[in-house]
Amino acid sequence: MRAVFRLRVRVVLAVVLAVATLIVGRLYFVQVAQGAEYSRKAEQQFAAAGQSGLFDRGSIYFTTKNGIHVSAATLAAGYLVAINPRLLAAPTAAYDAISAVATTTLSKSAFLTAAANKNLVYVEVAHGLSSAAGQSLAAQNITGVELLPERWRWYPGASLATKTIGVVGYGSGSTLIGQSGLEEEYDSVLERSGGDLLGNFFATLFSGAGSTLVSAQNAREGDVVTTIEPEVETRLMDDVAAMNATHSSHSSGGIIMDPKTGAIIALASYPTYNPNDLTNVNPQLLENPLVSHVYEFGSIMKPITMVSALSAGVISATSTYNDTGCFHVDGSRICNWNYHAYGVIPMKTIIMQSLNVGASWVAEQLGHARMHDYFTKVFGSKTGIDLPNEATALMSNLSKPQQIYYDTASFGEGIAVTPVQMIRAEAAIANGGTLVTPHVVSSIVLQSGQTKELSWPSGPRVFTPQATRETASMMDGLFSQVLYNGKYNIPGIPVAMKTGTAQLPTPTGTYYNNRFFDDEVVFFPSNNPRFVILLYTEDPKNAIYGTDTITPPMIDLIHFLINYYNITPTEAGTTTP
Amino acid sequence: MRNAAFTSPARARASFSPIALLTGLVATLGVAYVGLIAVVMAYAAVTVQFSQSVRSDEAQVAVLEGQYLSAIAGINSTDYAAAGYAKPIAEVYVPGARATALR
Repeated sequence: MRAVFRLRVRVVLAVVLAVATLIVGRLYFVQVAQGAEYSRKAEQQFAAAGQSGLFDRGSIYFTTKNGIHVSAATLAAGYLVAINPRLLAAPTAAYDAISAVATTTLSKSAFLTAAANKNLVYVEVAHGLSSAAGQSLAAQNITGVELLPERWRWYPGASLATKTIGVVGYGSGSTLIGQSGLEEEYDSVLERSGGDLLGNFFATLFSGAGSTLVSAQNAREGDVVTTIEPEVETRLMDDVAAMNATHSSHSSGGIIMDPKTGAIIALASYPTYNPNDLTNVNPQLLENPLVSHVYEFGSIMKPITMVSALSAGVISATSTYNDTGCFHVDGSRICNWNYHAYGVIPMKTIIMQSLNVGASWVAEQLGHARMHDYFTKVFGSKTGIDLPNEATALMSNLSKPQQIYYDTASFGEGIAVTPVQMIRAEAAIANGGTLVTPHVVSSIVLQSGQTKELSWPSGPRVFTPQATRETASMMDGLFSQVLYNGKYNIPGIPVAMKTGTAQLPTPTGTYYNNRFFDDEVVFFPSNNPRFVILLYTEDPKNAIYGTDTITPPMIDLIHFLINYYNITPTEAGTTTP
Repeated sequence: MRNAAFTSPARARASFSPIALLTGLVATLGVAYVGLIAVVMAYAAVTVQFSQSVRSDEAQVAVLEGQYLSAIAGINSTDYAAAGYAKPIAEVYVPGARATALR
């Protein structure tokens, strides 16, 4: 019995020793004989772990006239380059190889300093390599140089509508978030809160189950589809940039909108920047002056004064007044732009000849209370456009008792509004009197694949349909008869237009005599408007009047839109292109 | 004595131990749990891979879209006069046909 027991103990002991020997032998092969190979595999696993943490964010799309989506903001995929100083044997050669394919990298001295620090095992030295450049570098198989997949925000149109699309940045945290434009306004839609499925298995399992049941994340996150048409946007941007360059202006801008729905088809301002390279970009350029800056627009305010008085019934389209060329009010003298006295003339001449004396007469007929009421309805609140940092109009002059403030406001001086507010007001004349909500986003394509159409309700009716028709008719006359003696008249396509020129205010509250703000507004076909266009240029150096500075790009845009959207005339005729 | 060797149905039922039953159940659940973890991990890996593949494809499409937008910009900025084309001296407008005219 004892002999059997002793034998069993020896067998067990032999087995334990054999297993221990096998383990020690295996450890020797793993750590010593094949240590380098396993070390390489471990590094590869580190790289694989990095892949699951790639930057992710929804896209923003332009929409062509045919309804095709084209990326305005999306993700680019490529590689980042990192070095492991402990393994890097030839730093100078490695730097030369990396800098030959990388668009951004450390300086050579900084690279060599990092490579010499053997306490480090991971230093990122270049970002944003294209797939081709990354594969080219990988093919060289340089020990100590690692290529890791990377994604980053990319704007295929570069500076196209950039102030509207916006940019992303780190802000105060470590996560990229929208900093301006639609990137900021729709950040909660574009951000991706999900992500690393391999990072924390149980957290992912249960949070994933929760989101599947509730679908809150799927109902919120998606891609943003704008109403901006890329070809129209390109044309507008080129025209605005050319106008700014021709007149060496301080800044210029423009908006093209559907006056019936408020859908903005294009909007551009200059100077601008390339969002793909924000190095040395002045942060002030990130602002969108079309929604965040207020200007005194000058005479394009006259149609608003006219339609208000016609809607109030204090004048009619056939009313007349005696234009004296100049008059005095509250100790100041107000004159027509050409100091000409027109005598007894009808209302349409006020718009067609842009008469300050006539606009002031209309304001006096309207009275303080009614003018304050109409202008507050039109400009007294924000438009609700889906862009951040919308400014409010400066209209305190219309709360003062002196008549001069109402007179100057009637032709667009002394009150300041944003370009978006201005085009919405003009659109109300075009669409029969309703204040629409300007907007640049039409829908959200959710992660689930469903499309959520956004509704942008029209605001209140502020003008009567008859008053808007009569005012539009006056504006038609300016384009077809007065503007360069009707040179640009388009047969069968009536165009309603108003030009504007305002003196720029000085910091002390007076006005410059030789610095101006020029602008123009048109909508066409004025009998059934499809487009309303607003253009402006601030402080042009070699011209005074909006007629001279704005008309060439405006005519180009009108013809472009007619041809691009196949707007057919109602009668035959010939015009100068 | 013959009766002592006899096993009644009641005794046979008593030989099913609850401990054995629970042990089997635990073993089955354990295997199922490990299997589910494996499935979910595999699903997660495939999802991540698929998601990255989609994003990579979208990035390639975006490159093409960038070329399209560059082409538009190029067309807009082309100086046709420098290219030898003359600006037309007149533009003729023709009224559009009414839809009813096609009937």
